[in-house]
Amino acid sequence: MAILKTTDLSKVYNPDTVPVHALRDVSVSIEKGEFTSVVGPSGSGKTTLLNLVGGLDKPTSGEVEVEGIRIAGMKDRELTNFRLHNIGFVFQHYNLIPVFSARENVSFIMLLQNQDKEKMQERADELLRAVGLGNRKDARPPQMSGGEQQRVAVARALASKPKFILADEPTASLDTEAAMNLLDIMQRMNQEQNVTFVFSTHDQRVIDRARRVITLVDGAVDSDEHRDPDEGATA
Amino acid sequence: MLTYITLAWRNLWRNKRRTMITVSAIAFAVIVSVLLQSLNRGSYEMMIDRMVSFNTGYLQIQDFRYDDEASLDNAFFYDEELRERVLHADDRIRKILPRLQTFMLAANGASARGAMVFGIDPEKEDRFNDLKGYKTEGRFFELDEQAAVLSQGMADRLQLTVGDTLVLLGQGRFGMSASGLFKITGLMDHPIREMNNQAVYLPLNTAQEFLSAEDHLTALMIAPERERQTESVAAALRQALRHDDELVVFTWPELMPELLDLMEFDLAGPRLMTVILYVVIGFGFFGTILTMTMERIREFGVLLSVGMRRVRLAAVVFLETLFICLMGVITGVILSLGLIALIDPIRLSGRAAQAVIDMGFEPVLPLSYAPDQFYTQGIYVFLIAMLVFLFPLWKLFRLNIIEAARS
Ligand SMILES: Nc1ncnc2c1ncn2[C@@H]1O[C@H](COP(=O)(O)OP(=O)(O)O)[C@@H](O)[C@H]1O
Ligand SMILES: [Mg+2]
Repeated sequence: MAILKTTDLSKVYNPDTVPVHALRDVSVSIEKGEFTSVVGPSGSGKTTLLNLVGGLDKPTSGEVEVEGIRIAGMKDRELTNFRLHNIGFVFQHYNLIPVFSARENVSFIMLLQNQDKEKMQERADELLRAVGLGNRKDARPPQMSGGEQQRVAVARALASKPKFILADEPTASLDTEAAMNLLDIMQRMNQEQNVTFVFSTHDQRVIDRARRVITLVDGAVDSDEHRDPDEGATA
Repeated sequence: MLTYITLAWRNLWRNKRRTMITVSAIAFAVIVSVLLQSLNRGSYEMMIDRMVSFNTGYLQIQDFRYDDEASLDNAFFYDEELRERVLHADDRIRKILPRLQTFMLAANGASARGAMVFGIDPEKEDRFNDLKGYKTEGRFFELDEQAAVLSQGMADRLQLTVGDTLVLLGQGRFGMSASGLFKITGLMDHPIREMNNQAVYLPLNTAQEFLSAEDHLTALMIAPERERQTESVAAALRQALRHDDELVVFTWPELMPELLDLMEFDLAGPRLMTVILYVVIGFGFFGTILTMTMERIREFGVLLSVGMRRVRLAAVVFLETLFICLMGVITGVILSLGLIALIDPIRLSGRAAQAVIDMGFEPVLPLSYAPDQFYTQGIYVFLIAMLVFLFPLWKLFRLNIIEAARS
């Protein structure tokens, strides 16, 4: 079964005043372990798609299923809980709680999930080591670089043991080196631990690292290609 | 829970200056309110304290007719049996004080004045209200001596002093005429201003015989261990005296309602000031919470996205509001207590003092330490905090995640 599946997903903003058709009949299916990139020019609907599959917004029509469970009918509280236990999020910026250290930020999501307190610290440290921040555990976001903050955000997303991680333009505010570094980490998590990633981007170097590229144009799927990332872009 | 407390606490210090200003403003309001109240209540408490120890007792037993007509005819029979019954009614009863009291004419042979005559037991009085400490000249009498102690004002008006003879004229119980001569053994400065011009003390036994009221009292004053036991001791006494349908028990607030009303009336001013002050401070508090909320909308959006429930987020903001409130109240209470201790009692000097002395008062403004003036401030500030908290609560529950992220 697909880990994530959309059927004729559409979103119209401001339907009563100036309707904006942000997404038109998008039907895609993503399997466990995929490393998928959603690409397209600015305004093509990438964020809208990720918000809908992440349960942050409601579609105008169509369905979102996570492992066969439809999230459409869920109430606010139920949906919040669903996100907490099933989906990891990495946003473009301001991901972290500024008054918490890296370790506290990672532990916090496990606390929300009521995970075992004893193991929380240990797991947070382990995840921070995995994203290369083993020696930055006690730093708070204002003391960290943008790249470091994004890596903490990835560690936090992993900490909740989600079914998949959604990352909306995670590298958009990073320089090339930090961006590639973040991509390396995401790719390693994908290969070593079979973590499913869906990330949006309009950065060609990032697109080159994806194994599946879904291209949106004006809110509709323009192309959907699977490929071997080692061969580079072979459209 | 600890994590949420830590989060809230650290959030407060993201803008140290703003939090400090808000806390100080609340503390300031608490201090001003407490001081205003304390100053106003101080004088009343002193008055009440004196009235209770010299005039009424915390509790008092009377004949049921005495309240309507304060006449010797309505005195009650008091013997060993009644004394025992009262003392055993409740083990918190510490002291009892028998008195026979009536209005008479006091004269020096040439002129006469109205006098409040008290038949008393000086030893028991002294234990009850330190009576002997107020003596200015001479000595207090023995229980059956034909003697009197005069308040200073009365002595001045009649131009009498220790060693002179006082004439008392009036009626005893059931219209028996009563007139007698008493040797003045001492003078005293009565702490209640009106009393200082009219009090005449006689030995209890002498007074009872003189007024044809042997074994009778007009009042039995009672003191429990602590003031706050007054009501429950009154209940116990009423129970113990339930078969005595002639006797009634009064508590001090029942005996001097005018004074309490006056105090309430006088407190209305400071209360209004307090309300105005709190409205102003409340807006400042609101402003702080408002900005603390608005500048974190995006952060709230992220937290809701990753799966934090709105109620939990609201709980964190609630803790932030509560911490500001607590810090303000605690600082305010500690500082106002310190200030009161430092300046109490305020001694007036110069012209102000003379003006007060001329009106017959002591030139001293005592302050009150009544605990309720402190915790009521706490309650007020807490209520304001709850009101202020309504804004982030409302904001949080209608926050749209997508819009928060785009803001
Ligand atoms: N909340 C919104 N209200 C109205 N229009 C919106 C809103 N969010 C996005 N849009 C519009 O929907 C279209 C798709 O936006 P978006 O999903 O953010 O694209 P992308 O992430 O690819 O840049 C754009 O035309 C954008 O202006
Ligand atoms: Mg976007």
